[in-house]
Amino acid sequence: MDAGRALGVDISSICGGKGTCGKCKVKVQKGIEGLGPLTDREQKSLSEEELNSNFRLACQAQLTAPAIIFVPERSRVGKQRLQTEGLDVPVTPNPLVRKYHVVLPKPSLQDVRSDEDRLVDALREKYGLSNPEIDYEVAKTFPIDLRKKNWNVTAVVWKNKVIAIEPEDTTARCFGFAVDIGSTKLAGFLVDLNAGKVVSVAARMNPQIPFGEDILTRITHAMMQGPKGQDDLQNAVVSGINEMIDECCKNAEVKTEEIYELNFVGNTAMQMLFLKLWPQYTAFSPYPPAIRRGIDVDAVKIGLKSHPRANAHTVPVIGGFVGADSVADLMAVNMLEAEDIVMDIDIGTNTEIALGNKDRILIVSCASGPAFEGMEIKHGMRAATGAIEKISIDVDSLDVNYRTIDDAPPVGICGSGLVDGLAEMLKSGLVNMRGKINSDLSAQTDRLRKTADGWYEFVIAPKGTTGTDEDITITQADIRELQKAKAAMRTGAETLLKRMNLTKDDITTLYVAGAFGNYIDPESARMIGMYPEVPIERIKFVGNTAGTGSRMCLISKEMRDHAEAISTKVHYYELACDTDFQGEYMKAMFLPHQDLSRQPISAEMLRRLGRI
Amino acid sequence: MSTSNKETILKRLTDAVIVGDPKTADEAAKQALAAGISAYEAIMNGLAEGMKTVGDKYEKKEYFLPDMLLSADAMYAGLNVLTPHIPKSQSKSKGKVILGVVEGDIHDIGKNIVKVMLTASGYEVVDLGRDVPTSDFIEKAKNEGAQVIAMSTLLTPTLMSMKTVEDKLKEEGLKDKVRTVIGGGAVSEDWRTKIGSDAYGKDATEAVDKVKLLIESIKSAVELMKKEGKKE
Repeated sequence: MDAGRALGVDISSICGGKGTCGKCKVKVQKGIEGLGPLTDREQKSLSEEELNSNFRLACQAQLTAPAIIFVPERSRVGKQRLQTEGLDVPVTPNPLVRKYHVVLPKPSLQDVRSDEDRLVDALREKYGLSNPEIDYEVAKTFPIDLRKKNWNVTAVVWKNKVIAIEPEDTTARCFGFAVDIGSTKLAGFLVDLNAGKVVSVAARMNPQIPFGEDILTRITHAMMQGPKGQDDLQNAVVSGINEMIDECCKNAEVKTEEIYELNFVGNTAMQMLFLKLWPQYTAFSPYPPAIRRGIDVDAVKIGLKSHPRANAHTVPVIGGFVGADSVADLMAVNMLEAEDIVMDIDIGTNTEIALGNKDRILIVSCASGPAFEGMEIKHGMRAATGAIEKISIDVDSLDVNYRTIDDAPPVGICGSGLVDGLAEMLKSGLVNMRGKINSDLSAQTDRLRKTADGWYEFVIAPKGTTGTDEDITITQADIRELQKAKAAMRTGAETLLKRMNLTKDDITTLYVAGAFGNYIDPESARMIGMYPEVPIERIKFVGNTAGTGSRMCLISKEMRDHAEAISTKVHYYELACDTDFQGEYMKAMFLPHQDLSRQPISAEMLRRLGRI
Repeated sequence: MSTSNKETILKRLTDAVIVGDPKTADEAAKQALAAGISAYEAIMNGLAEGMKTVGDKYEKKEYFLPDMLLSADAMYAGLNVLTPHIPKSQSKSKGKVILGVVEGDIHDIGKNIVKVMLTASGYEVVDLGRDVPTSDFIEKAKNEGAQVIAMSTLLTPTLMSMKTVEDKLKEEGLKDKVRTVIGGGAVSEDWRTKIGSDAYGKDATEAVDKVKLLIESIKSAVELMKKEGKKE
């Protein structure tokens, strides 16, 4: 439980760690031998089934060696900010699945048409459908369904195929489910397809995480284990999706059988693992995706909870490292129809950056790494209760003010806090342009001090004020990780500008997408040179657009066509092949940038503060 | 030439590398030749000394990637002037290393830094670049008579390509002639044990240390074999 807390994973507990409430069950994925023996309390709280599958009580089990532990949803405090919010783009509903209510004339000796013709004729006459066909599974029993309520039925039609016959008029209830399959988080949206409106939302951590924090480790799992590994990964993500479906349906009082269409958006690798496509070659240079186009597959084949003949659709991708999430993102900001030059940055472990307008769009993928998600950072954590999300440093006294999520005692620093922290350290001279901590200032403040390994760190929240038993600091090594991450993004942006013969001043709107993007301070991000320096009013945060795009493709046929158009019209540019890549990357490593002519606003400020 | 003048020039070379100033390195190298300092000495006691300091600073987190690359530029600027002036007889390297990013991976910044550090430490480096096919590592090592193959990868899936090289070396019975050292973001000591590589370097400085040890181990193994051969 302590280990969980230290990592920012809040495990629930009602009894206060006495081992009596049984709320803190966790599953040991790897390294069970490194845990102390089962306590009496655990024997009492855990079922035999749980014991066999390596469940323990977090408050009882002692960790003596490193282990990989999965905290199930039910054992989490749940205040994780799941960041499902994204730009809401209004779309006229025109779903692929529609319901049509018909009352058919009974067969008679004067009217001996087949049941099928009777239905098809009615659908054509009343609704103008052109010769819909009847799904084989429906055909088997639909004569009974037609007669059950005296020929008063609703036909559920997907594209031009009747996939169900329901008694009487059910047209008012037609639902779909849109999913954003993130490598860290899943978001699900139950949508009323008649109105095109979201009726319920759910989010989960991706249950694939125990197989690897990053997608490449998960692909490696599939490569090493073969089909069994693929099953592991598919089952994990599908179980998470099904949980969300259950949750949404319960909240909105919808039956899972009332979901007739599902739409999925994820990066290329996530979609491949979800569909159980062999992912190996996409992980090797030059990273070709197995399939570019969108795929329609029977939801039941993947094990999704929905109507037995529901269709599951995955949105097309652009390349191996530019997936449907990018397509969704560009759809949400409608880049394909932009008159003026826009740049769109979708921040994540992989950051995709697109630049252009309706005439031409290039997109790159940058391996920015998980530093801004709080990974690889000493006191880093995800955006959850107790995470320091805002930091300001007094440039004279070097005193620190911060704010935490839910105003809880601080337990770590999340991405937006790290961006603020670094920008403020730069402005106050605690860090120089090369990213080195200015050790001279340790004479001026106790907050700056040498660590045991001889490097320096800066105390953001001293022990005693924190929710942990230690100081919360930003270390020299942390700054290096952040520099690498931001340099990767900036290099992508600068390379695109150069290749399209544009400058930062041509960018009329800079969209920042991604769950984390929503919470960063645009000025701090600009001060550390995360993106080209444009006036603040040109920066627009659009949030998690993968979810937005997934909903749009669920609601509208036209949007699916639009996705296909994006997938073929947006050109992928391979950064690693750019001759200037290494040079640009090194320049971008500086704070805010080695070439200050690209950062006039920040440079002026740093000059005024006497930092350069 | 006075000793102090010589020392001034060597120090100028060293400092140019430390601060990462290619222009000064180029000038100081020409100055050294004009003053009659041997190219070999200018490299070993000038440029290489600077790179050693840079390596130390990197290890202490005082220097970071951009600093390393600037210093590397300065070192190469100096080397470009000096190398043509080294007489054949004097150019004996400490050993030959085949270096590359393994098949399937194109991330080569780390590899480039290792190359700088190895070059500065007096090793001859055959750089095969990135996304290097397995067979190229083996063929080059054989053709060039290299003692060490150094491989890197940043990402996990391409770890398998390292194993392929190891397996191939074993298969061809080359393990006693060629040692391997591996490194890069995805690589760990665990992985080294798993695939039976000879060494793992967690960063560029450690990679150089490991190469040194590996080449010494080959030499002592050869001597051991000679001795045992004599006994018989």
